[in-house]
Amino acid sequence: MNTVVGRSRWTPLIFLAPFIVTFLVFTAYPLVQSVNLSMHQTYGPKTSTFVGGGNFTQLFGDPLFWKALGNTFLFALGSVLLQLPLSLGLALLLDRPAVKGRLLFRLIYFSPSLAGIVFVALLFGPIFEKNTGLLNVWLNSLIGFDLEFPWMERHVMTGLIVAGMWMYVGFNMVYFLAALQNVDRSIEEAALVDGAGPWQRFRHVTIPAIRPVAGFVVLLSVIGSFQLFELPFVLLNNTAGPDNRGLTIVMYLYQTGFEIGDLGYASAIGWSLAILLMILAIALRLLLRRYED
Amino acid sequence: MLTTIRSALSPGGWAIVILAALSTLLVLSRPDTRRSGLDMWVFARPHHEMYVPNVESWNASRDPDLNLYLLSLPALERRMSSGFLSDTPVADLIEADVRVASRAFTGPLEDVGFLDLTDRIRESGILEEINGPSFTPWTSRGRIFGLPHDVHPVMLAYRADLVEEAGIDVSGIETWDDFIGAMKPLMADADGDGRPDRYLLNVWETQIDTIEAFVLQAGGSYFDEHERVAIDSEVNARVISTIATWVAGPNRIAVDAQEFTASGNRLKLEGFVVASIMPDWLGGVWKHDMGDLSGKVKLMPIPAWEEGGCRTTVWGGTMLGIARSTRDPEAAWELAKHLYLSEDLARQLYESNGIISPIRRLWAREFYDVPDEFFQGQAPGRMYIDLAPSVPHRTSSPFNQIAKERVRDALTRLRQYAEQEEMFTLEELLPEARRQLASAHEDIQLRVDRNVFLKEDSEGQR
Repeated sequence: MNTVVGRSRWTPLIFLAPFIVTFLVFTAYPLVQSVNLSMHQTYGPKTSTFVGGGNFTQLFGDPLFWKALGNTFLFALGSVLLQLPLSLGLALLLDRPAVKGRLLFRLIYFSPSLAGIVFVALLFGPIFEKNTGLLNVWLNSLIGFDLEFPWMERHVMTGLIVAGMWMYVGFNMVYFLAALQNVDRSIEEAALVDGAGPWQRFRHVTIPAIRPVAGFVVLLSVIGSFQLFELPFVLLNNTAGPDNRGLTIVMYLYQTGFEIGDLGYASAIGWSLAILLMILAIALRLLLRRYED
Repeated sequence: MLTTIRSALSPGGWAIVILAALSTLLVLSRPDTRRSGLDMWVFARPHHEMYVPNVESWNASRDPDLNLYLLSLPALERRMSSGFLSDTPVADLIEADVRVASRAFTGPLEDVGFLDLTDRIRESGILEEINGPSFTPWTSRGRIFGLPHDVHPVMLAYRADLVEEAGIDVSGIETWDDFIGAMKPLMADADGDGRPDRYLLNVWETQIDTIEAFVLQAGGSYFDEHERVAIDSEVNARVISTIATWVAGPNRIAVDAQEFTASGNRLKLEGFVVASIMPDWLGGVWKHDMGDLSGKVKLMPIPAWEEGGCRTTVWGGTMLGIARSTRDPEAAWELAKHLYLSEDLARQLYESNGIISPIRRLWAREFYDVPDEFFQGQAPGRMYIDLAPSVPHRTSSPFNQIAKERVRDALTRLRQYAEQEEMFTLEELLPEARRQLASAHEDIQLRVDRNVFLKEDSEGQR
C-alpha cells in the first residue's frame, strides 16, 4: 500500500519535471528577463544601463516603429480581406462533389504551404524583378507594360501580400473545407425545401455553421501576419526596402536587437507587439461572440 | 528511503533516467575537438584562395598554426556580433568589411570586441606606411581596431566600344555636366520604341553604396570627423538633388543595373548602360562575371562635381581585426602583419582581384603597370594608385549603415516629390532635398543621442 502511495506522489512530479524545467528555463525566465530588459538600454546581454520607461517613451515617438506597425497592419488587412475570402471560395468550389479531380486540386492548392517561407521569398524575387522579372516581361509582351517598373521598390506591400496569398490560400482552404464538411446537410436540405436560393443558403446556413472555424482562421491569420519577418527579409535582401516600405514590427525588433545590439529596445518592441496582439485577439473574440449571440 | 526512491518509477522509467544520465556523461567525457592554434575567419572567397598557400607555408615554419575558415558575410557578421555581444567564442583573427566591422563599435569602448591596435600600429611605424584614409573606417573614438586591407579608390568604367563607335572624345570630360553633354548622343532612340536605346550611368535611388560614394566625392559625408551627425549639409542636398534629376524626369540619364545581380549584369552586357562607377575590387568581379565585356571597357577618373573638384571617391573596404578574446594576441598580431604587409601578397591581391595595397611604398612596384586586356590595354593598377591619395576620408560611426539607409529614403521621397510636382531641375528640388535630409538627420540624431555608451565615451574623451 505504501509503495502505491509513494509512487503516486513522486511519479507525476518526475514525469512533469522535464516540462517544468524546460518551461521555467526557456519560457518563464526569458519572459521575466525580457520585461527587465525592456527597461534597460543594452549593448548585448552583458552591458546595460537602466532607463526605466525610456524605451517605451522613445518607441511611441519613433517614426520607424509606427511605419513598421502601419506596414504590418496593411499586410494583416490584405491577408484577411483578400486571402480568406479566396480560401473560402476555393473551399466552396472544391467541396462540390460535381468538381472532377477535386482531390488533386486540393493537393495543388495546398502544396505551396509546404514550401518554406524562405523558398517562397526566393521564388518571388525573380518574378518581381524589374527589366528581367517574369511579371514585367509577361506584362510587357501582353500589353507593352514598362519593363523597368520597380514592383519591389514602389509596391513592396502588394508584392508581400501576393506572395503571402500564394502560400497561405491553400492552407486556410483546408480549414474551411473541414468546416464545410461538417455543415449539417439536413438543415441545408430543409432550407432548400423552404425555397431558399443558393445565396440565402450560404448566408443563413453555411456561414453560421462555419463561423467558429472562420473566427479561428481570422485570428490565426492576424497573429501570423503580425509575426511577418522572413518573407520581406529575404525578398528585400536583408533590408526593409526603399523608404522602409517592407519594414515589419518583427523585422524592426530583429534589426534593433540583433544588428544594433540594443536588446532592451528590442524587448520593448516585443512587448508592445505582444500587448497589441492580446488586444486584437480579445477584440476579435468579443466580436465573434457578439455575432454568435 | 531507498524503497521509496526505487518505487518512485517503474523499471521502464528508471531505464529512461539511467539512459539519460549515461548519455549526458558520454557527451561530457568527449574530448574537446577544437583545433589548437589560432583561428581566422574570412568572408571573401578570392581572399581565402590567396591566403591558403601562405597560411600553409606559415604553419610549416611557425607556431602556433593558423586555421583558416571561409564564412559567408552574413554568417560571419552574425557569429562575430553574437560572440562580441555575449562573450561566446569567436575566431582570433576576423577579416570584416566596413558594414560588419562598424557593428562592433556601437557599445562602450571597453566592450569593442576587437583588440585596440592603436599603440601597436603607431609603434611599428605602420601608421605612416599605410595610406591615411584607409584607417578611418576602423577607427572609433580615436582608437584603431583593424589593419586596413585596401584603399578602394573609384574610377568610371565605360563602354569604350560604344563611345568610340559614336565618335565621342572623353579626354575633355572633367565634370558630370561635361560627361552628360558628351555622352548624350548615346541615348538616342534609334530603334524607335519610344525610349532611349541606352542610359548613361548606372546609379539608382536604391543603390545606397553608390549614393554614399557620390556624397563622399562631392566633399559631403553623413558624419563629421568627430562622428557627429552631418546628414543635413548643403553638399549632401545638392548631391541627392542631382541624382534625383538623373533618375527621373525628362533629363533622366541613369538606370538601375545593380552589381552582383543577373539582371544588372545583363543590362551591362547588352550595353543598356554606358558607364558605372568602379572601385578597384569591382574590376575583378566584372572579369569573373562578365567575361564577354573584355576589351570593350575602359576606365577614366570620375567626372568631378565642379571644375577642379575631386576625381575619385571610395567604395567598400576590408580590415583584419584581432578579437579581444584571443588566447595569443602577440601571435595574432604577427600573423596579421604577415598577411597584410607582405609584398608578395600585395602582388597576388592585385593580380587576382585588381585590388591595390594600402602600403604606399609598394605603389611604385612594376606589377601595377602591367596592361590589362579587359580594359583595352590600360594599366588599371597605376590609374587607381594615381587617385589613391585623393580618396576621401570616411568615419566609422556604428550608425553609418542606418544613415545610408535614411539618405536613400530621403532620395526615394525626393524622386517621388519630383514626379508628383513635375519638378526636375536641381534648383527646384533643392528645398525639398534639404527638408528630407533634415528629417533623416533628426532621426539619426535621436538614435545617437539615445546611445548612452557612445555619449559617455565622448564625454570621457572631452
